[in-house]
Amino acid sequence: MSAPKLNVADVAGLARLSLTPDETTKFTAQLSQILSHMETLGQIPTGDVPEVVPPAQPVLRKDIPTPSLSVEAALANAPAQNNDLILVPKIVE
Amino acid sequence: MSLAHETLASLRRRLSSKEIHSRDIVKDLLTEIGAREKTVHAFTHIDEKAALAAAEKADSSLPLGGIPIALKDNLNVLGDPCTCSSKILEGYRAPYDATAVARLRHAGAIFLGRTNMDEFAMGSSTENSALGVTRNPWDPTRIPGGSSGGSAAAVAGRLAIAALGSDTGGSIRQPAALCGCVGLKPTYGRISRYGLVAFASSLDQIGPLTRTVEDSAILLSALSGHDPRDNTTELRKPETFLSKPEGSVKGLRVGLPKEYFLPGMNAETEAAIRSASQWFEKNGATLVEVSLPHTPAAIAVYYILATAEASANLARFDGVRYGRRAVDPKDLLDLYQRTRSEGFGPEVKRRIILGTFVLSQGYTDAYYRKAQKVRGLLRQDFESAFTKCDLLLTPTSPEPAFPLGERTQDPLKMYLADVFTISTNLAGNGAISLPCSFTKSNLPIGLQLIGPRFGEEKILQAAHAYEQAHDFWKRMPPV
Repeated sequence: MSAPKLNVADVAGLARLSLTPDETTKFTAQLSQILSHMETLGQIPTGDVPEVVPPAQPVLRKDIPTPSLSVEAALANAPAQNNDLILVPKIVE
Repeated sequence: MSLAHETLASLRRRLSSKEIHSRDIVKDLLTEIGAREKTVHAFTHIDEKAALAAAEKADSSLPLGGIPIALKDNLNVLGDPCTCSSKILEGYRAPYDATAVARLRHAGAIFLGRTNMDEFAMGSSTENSALGVTRNPWDPTRIPGGSSGGSAAAVAGRLAIAALGSDTGGSIRQPAALCGCVGLKPTYGRISRYGLVAFASSLDQIGPLTRTVEDSAILLSALSGHDPRDNTTELRKPETFLSKPEGSVKGLRVGLPKEYFLPGMNAETEAAIRSASQWFEKNGATLVEVSLPHTPAAIAVYYILATAEASANLARFDGVRYGRRAVDPKDLLDLYQRTRSEGFGPEVKRRIILGTFVLSQGYTDAYYRKAQKVRGLLRQDFESAFTKCDLLLTPTSPEPAFPLGERTQDPLKMYLADVFTISTNLAGNGAISLPCSFTKSNLPIGLQLIGPRFGEEKILQAAHAYEQAHDFWKRMPPV
């Protein structure tokens, strides 16, 4: 495992977070300490170990429609709405 | 004596014989809350009127008829706020019941109080709450543990008869240990998480925090079972746990994992756990030394996988469909960024960034995929240990409750508080924490018993036998 290069501001942008300069400085120091701790994993041999370990086998239900939330209930929490639609800022000019 | 001091099992008997009424319990709890909640701050929200109204209508012929239960504030209850102790869920009201909540309701329980937590269950001290810190009833200058710190403090402080919490890396067991109550993290797949706000879906599990092991068994029996709305819940016959308490540990093979007894560990904790293991031996159990060799890697594996899953799960909080929305956004990107930056606290941001990083192009192999592989090895460690023993006995927390503020600026040190609990989440096993001693300064110490997958009956039998032979559970905190 190579030494991690974490550009906190860039990664925050990918996660749709904008950080203050103070947060960026603080998180950079804290996360680099945490990532160094994670470097220890590199020393564990994992050659032919299977990668994903699902803790349980999924139990699927039949694909049959059943009653669900009403439109009114589903929209009750929307910060802005009109005509049974959620309003957001314009995304296409 | 105030009914707030009684166990769930005792109240259940008295309710069903009509010796007492649910309203009496609610009133006694409200009196205790009135006297001590100001100091403890276990709750984010209490609806006294609704609880009293529900108590009037309670049907004491049902298994939990009229029993008030406190709920961690990340469980959806129809019509109620569900804050996750975060500003981003301001104004949100749940449009449905979580399955765990619906099951308790169906069994006749009523709900009194939503308990404080680390924001989105991310933390080990309940200090990461946007709604204020919770204090440990044994010493209000110390943390109650986390993330279900409000639930643990409420139960220990006699402000709730029992509570639900959620455990992703120790969030039920560690606060139970630090507050001196019983906390059970069931096997992954035992209880539906539908309606629990997701943190890390391959690790999250709901469970009870109670005064006694019997109370824990009663709630586990009510909560367990397959739910078509959570496809990780396994199809199993319904079980009534601890229906015939054996009261004995004779013949039990108790494994002591050597990686959980480290040089330099807290001396009082080590002495307490050694003494508990000697009790098992004196009472007919066999002690076996076992090894879980990948334990030292567990923290790194956990904080890679849990943050990766959290970064995806928390993408839904974008200000569009529910909760807080930034004022006057200039475009959609600005709406997302400002809503999330204003709404999330520092620990949640840190974990989202870390999770986004370990999943980002060029780093997934070294972090996420590597961690998944080591998780497989950790799971094999447990499987191999359980060929040599029936249960594992370990400390729950490396040390008793630490002072408020001690670790808020040092996230890595905070993460290390979970060292003895996170492996069971990674492996999917069930585990319980129960009080096994007190320090010289009167802080509780927790004993952890870990079982094989779906081995809760074994865990509860052994824990009950140990508990009933001691009186730790009867002790009252000073606050």
